[in-house]
Amino acid sequence: MTPILPSKFDTSFPVIQVSGLTVYRGQYAAVENVSFDLLPGTSSAIVGPNGSGKSTLVQAILDLIPHTSGSVQIFGRPIQKLGKLRHEIGYMPQNFIFDRSFPISVAELVRLGWVKTDRAMSQNAALSQALQRVNATHLRHQAIGTLSGGELKRVLLAYCLVVPRKLLILDEAFAEVDVQGEADFYSLLDELRREESWTLLQVSHDLDMVGRHCDQVLCLNRSLICSGQPETALSPQNLLQTYGSTFSRYHHQH
Amino acid sequence: MQDFLTLLGYPFMQRAIAAGVLMGVLCGFLGSFVALRQLSFFSHAVGHAALVGIAMGVLLQVDPTWTLLPFTLIFGIAVLYLIDQTDLWSDSILNIVLSGALAIGVILTSFIRGYRGNLMGVLFGDILAVNLTDIGLTLLLLIASVSILLATLRQQILLTLNQSVAKVQGVAVQFHRYLFVVLLSLTVAVAIKAVGILLVNAFLVIPASTAKLLSHQFKPYLIGSVAIGAISSLVGMIVSGTLNFPSGPSIVLVQFCLFLIVFGLIKLTAAWVKV
Repeated sequence: MTPILPSKFDTSFPVIQVSGLTVYRGQYAAVENVSFDLLPGTSSAIVGPNGSGKSTLVQAILDLIPHTSGSVQIFGRPIQKLGKLRHEIGYMPQNFIFDRSFPISVAELVRLGWVKTDRAMSQNAALSQALQRVNATHLRHQAIGTLSGGELKRVLLAYCLVVPRKLLILDEAFAEVDVQGEADFYSLLDELRREESWTLLQVSHDLDMVGRHCDQVLCLNRSLICSGQPETALSPQNLLQTYGSTFSRYHHQH
Repeated sequence: MQDFLTLLGYPFMQRAIAAGVLMGVLCGFLGSFVALRQLSFFSHAVGHAALVGIAMGVLLQVDPTWTLLPFTLIFGIAVLYLIDQTDLWSDSILNIVLSGALAIGVILTSFIRGYRGNLMGVLFGDILAVNLTDIGLTLLLLIASVSILLATLRQQILLTLNQSVAKVQGVAVQFHRYLFVVLLSLTVAVAIKAVGILLVNAFLVIPASTAKLLSHQFKPYLIGSVAIGAISSLVGMIVSGTLNFPSGPSIVLVQFCLFLIVFGLIKLTAAWVKV
């Protein structure tokens, strides 16, 4: 039986293909000869110590900074040629809201993520549904400056999912979700992945979360030290190689 | 007050009030983006560099408006280009070009033979001297700014919040940054004739900051900034006409008082809620 695909994309064709990617920051190779594929509906995490090039890698994938050599394809095309497929990408960096005093309400912020596509609902319907999915309907009219850290992160997730996407890239955007929010948060991400075959790529420091929710781990320290399923990729030996000898396994403190 | 009503009968006073209110609206509107994009020092530098444009006009014996507009436009774009092309902090770049331009401006002014009394006019402006061309230019800029920025409002807010995210969503970030600087530089040039180099930035900064104290949603903030800009100009002109104060500084004084009043009211309300 032929599976009914949710879209025009082949389920086995990589969403992201990175091959031999090298990025120089001035004279310094911040990312060196990195290659990997992300398959549709999978969840991958980039882990590594501070300064190992995680954010640089993400920014180079999204063409926010130029790369020196190698290539990146998203949905089988170079990012400059994505056209409207660009709207299928959600990107959330750590400092998206740099200034918490920015005069903008939750509803106004979430609406910014909306674009008119064939698959998208009307703006108002999409806004209501996105807020409902992250349990933030009651925050609709609040200013972002009045939200708690956990609330803000749920609202940012609503921003990401206000239109259906194929790929969500989180660069430590949700590093400090509050404890009770955390389980809901990751189960919502899992749900998006299973039901709408979103592909997830996140930069994370939380190896416990990575072990529970990711299919693929990319251990980065300028070059790719190891990659694979969490059980094998996060072996003590690989962690030692990625983080160096001073590393003791990071546990999330609350 | 009777004096003021008589004053209102004069065409120069009507033009001054129209110009003041239009500038209040235009600067309030652009200022709301200036405040959030941390461009206030940018407009400050453009305003001071405008001295070169004015001195060139006087030396070439043409209406300074026609040297001022192209000069501020080129200056604004050049500064943004310099900021993008070096890894120096933007306030260092702004200080460098501001000082350089001021030095050139003062030297050029020293070449002006004979009467240099209108230098005070350059520093403080003279809203009573605006002509219909100035009002037409202000109106044109206002229409251009409002139609461009409102038609792309979601992209404008997104690129103000975070340029990387805007770029990933397909916003032409560089195009919009330069376009905004073009509008801002021309606005500064047009406003200088009315309010002068020293006070032009008040029009861009104070109403928007007052609106930011009042509102934590974007649309009310934008409307508030425009309204405060317009009201300050109107009240400022009345104050100026009634008490025979200089016009530009009267408007800025009203903007400043409104800011203090709003600040005070917010502090009082906060204290009241606590009790």
